[in-house]
Amino acid sequence: MKQVRKFDARPKLDGSWKFLDDYSYKDMIYGGLFYSTVHHGIIRKITFPVEFNLTEFTIVFAKDIPGKNIVPEPECDQPFMADKEVFHFGQVIMGVAHPSKEILKKFIKQIKVEYEELPAIVDVKECLENEKNAFGKEIIIDHRRNVKPEKGWIRTHSVYYTTHQEQAYLEPQGMIAIYKPEDRIMFVRGTMQCPFFVKDGVEAIMGNTIKEAIIETSEGIGGAFGGKEDFPSLLAGITALLAYKSGKPVKVVLDRADDIQITTKRHPSRVEIETYTNPKTRKIRKLKIDYRLDAGAYQTLSPVVLARGVLHSIGGYAVEDVYIRGRLFRSNTPSNGAFRGFGAPQAFFAIESHIDKIASHMKINPYEFRKANILKFGDEFPTTQKITENHLYDCLERVIVKSDYHKKLKEFSKFNKTLKDKKGIGISIGYHGGGYTGSGEKLLNSEVKITIDKEGFVNIFVANVDMGQGAHTTLAQMVNETLEHPLEKTIVQLPNTKKTPNSGPTVASRTIYIIGNLLRKLSKKIKDELKFENLERFIKENQDKFPKEYRMHFTPDPSAVFDDKTYQGVAYKDYSWAACVTEIYYHADIYQIELKKIWNVLDIGNIVNPKIAEGQVEGANIQAMGYALSEFFYKKGYGRIQGFTDYAIPTTFDIPEIDIEFIHTDSTTAKGLGEIPMDYPAPAIRNAFYNATGIFIDEIPLTPERILKTMNKLPQTNTDDTQT
Amino acid sequence: MGMHLGFLFPSWGLGTRYRKSVVKEKKMKINFILNENEVSIDVDPMKRLLDILREDFGLTGTKEGCGEGECGACTILLDGKPVTSCILNAIHADGKEIYTVEGIAEKHIGKLLIDCFDETNAVQCGFCFPGFLVSSYYYLKTDGEKNLDKIKKALSGNICRCTGYQKIFESVMMACVRKS
Repeated sequence: MKQVRKFDARPKLDGSWKFLDDYSYKDMIYGGLFYSTVHHGIIRKITFPVEFNLTEFTIVFAKDIPGKNIVPEPECDQPFMADKEVFHFGQVIMGVAHPSKEILKKFIKQIKVEYEELPAIVDVKECLENEKNAFGKEIIIDHRRNVKPEKGWIRTHSVYYTTHQEQAYLEPQGMIAIYKPEDRIMFVRGTMQCPFFVKDGVEAIMGNTIKEAIIETSEGIGGAFGGKEDFPSLLAGITALLAYKSGKPVKVVLDRADDIQITTKRHPSRVEIETYTNPKTRKIRKLKIDYRLDAGAYQTLSPVVLARGVLHSIGGYAVEDVYIRGRLFRSNTPSNGAFRGFGAPQAFFAIESHIDKIASHMKINPYEFRKANILKFGDEFPTTQKITENHLYDCLERVIVKSDYHKKLKEFSKFNKTLKDKKGIGISIGYHGGGYTGSGEKLLNSEVKITIDKEGFVNIFVANVDMGQGAHTTLAQMVNETLEHPLEKTIVQLPNTKKTPNSGPTVASRTIYIIGNLLRKLSKKIKDELKFENLERFIKENQDKFPKEYRMHFTPDPSAVFDDKTYQGVAYKDYSWAACVTEIYYHADIYQIELKKIWNVLDIGNIVNPKIAEGQVEGANIQAMGYALSEFFYKKGYGRIQGFTDYAIPTTFDIPEIDIEFIHTDSTTAKGLGEIPMDYPAPAIRNAFYNATGIFIDEIPLTPERILKTMNKLPQTNTDDTQT
Repeated sequence: MGMHLGFLFPSWGLGTRYRKSVVKEKKMKINFILNENEVSIDVDPMKRLLDILREDFGLTGTKEGCGEGECGACTILLDGKPVTSCILNAIHADGKEIYTVEGIAEKHIGKLLIDCFDETNAVQCGFCFPGFLVSSYYYLKTDGEKNLDKIKKALSGNICRCTGYQKIFESVMMACVRKS
């Protein structure tokens, strides 16, 4: 653990660090996307405005695609551009380019398309309630053990909903493509998380017309949070096609309004949970979960989100008899994609809300009830994976002490009797599996490279990007733990598919957990081989030995086997654990929840850079707060949400106090961190609201409108609880 | 009225080949002080100030995050006050004094703020930070009291999605202490 300043902080502050839109090339022209403004329909006629000279524009349609009109994804079902039928608002119909940005914008605005409109499903509940909308991947985890509910056991049954969430990275999506006809190479620079995914995308759309696509990221990537995992493949493909057809470098940077309307979002969910609890032992004995995600118009990477969702849907509890069914549902909205948490925030919102509901039925404290059921050493997940540590329990115990939970509970109960405004305190616990699910990491077969040159520089080559999470600083630190080389001479090279080996995408908390730990291993190998005491001196004295190159592949633990068909086995080798307490103040007159404080206790293994780690928790907590309280799309929001005026992400005024503690940091492994602090706060806020008001709301965000409606109509929502 | 084209076989271009797309070629001379230098430019008076700074003067430190004056990534100082340059036009700059992040980073308080933001590891993706630097600079120049509520108010026009703002507040408070 070492506090090191980020190498890119100062140039980012003085404005000299280059983001995608800051790059310019000779003769570069500007590109834009024209997309569908209906939810579902057949394209009948396209009309271009007459006041423009069409020969000045480069226009590409689906029919101009020389390769395949399918974006490479876990499920290859989404076209780069619609051909005849559009299946969602925001589906790209054509790419357009022109030397003037202003003329391009005016031109695209005035293109008219006549559609024959067809029935569409846009509303989240309409999509998720109707079984007929289920499509594609279905996952079942069957851990039924024939437990028969006995008389007196408490049955709790509820349905929980979450809605779309926009990643809202501050830098919009953008790509620059340059075609070099002499060697038939398509060079693409962009703001992205996964250079090798983008390479696949560009090569798919260009087919045999190019020899190779070379992808390099921009120096700065202005936030991503999952939003730059798969959409960049589509954008890069169309930009490349424009560059090919025009023969000029093309830059496409989306306007915020376009970005927010056509790119991927967090999947809305409907999670139905039924439990049977023995009130004497306080143990949940039987649990059934129906986990549904609204995938949007295409599956794309939703099957993988679904997998992580169902694997996290049981929460941090040991239950003997479990049956989980996960399904994707189709709607006429842009395909949903990756967003920090990747199915887990939806899962935890449901199960953590449900746990409080059972506790309230049993009239016991939600902390006591969690304690009675929490996963401990020797318990198993429904996948039969054994729990080998008590760290989740340790997190819970610690956060209860830190937040002074019991004292506050008493104080608030007294306070709430006297005033219309209320105070509340809520708990949640969670975990997050590091790296790809199941055999994913085995299939990725990530490779990293380190070179040491004569001048004394240690160069690290990985395809994983620094999108703000500080990965390149942290990875350099992980190499230097062993090599003990000056940090200013340890350089993480800009990801480039020609120069950096394929170390996989920058997703799933795998950059530090998989790639960082792999670099640690490679650094040890280098040290063992060179047997130096001081690397800098060693290079100076042994110039003939350099430059030197080292490579290493990730080798998964052979004992960690997962069956992708039955969902049995080790889904994730290592889990990060966490517990959280939130304190809220409810302003009764305006139906507004104010989050006052949030306490996090996490086990993420060893900490490489404490301040970077804290920054991850703080940022994720605030995104989760937005998820719980303010962020949503209108029922028919597409076409209406234009930016941050209509989509309310937290500002400086909304920020609570944040308390963070990492425990069990003496571990040798650095585990995943990016996602877990996004997973658990939303249900803790909801549970605090219940503690304050005695009202369950099973749907987020808890906007004043939703609270007002709930309070005026029903004391509780969506429940049909009975005792058997 | 528009040209009607079949979707599958677009036949544009006929009869329009020699016409140039309609561009409003109105230009106007605009003079202002940019980062302490007198500058003058012939430009469409309605061109966005943000684009003039980025494209005509190459000052790409000022970023476009939303284009509607909401996120603050394009914040500059116009006659000493923080404004979002994406919703201002060229004409708004005429006769004014402008500081962009590049100019502020050279000033004493700018440097002090950069040191503090660096020390707390506040910066994540960094896209919004030039805007935060400008707003924090304005706060330090005009008030500078180490007061969390005041700082929150001063920075409320800047949105950050990465950090949760904690370390930004910490940095500005640190700068307030060091300045005095």
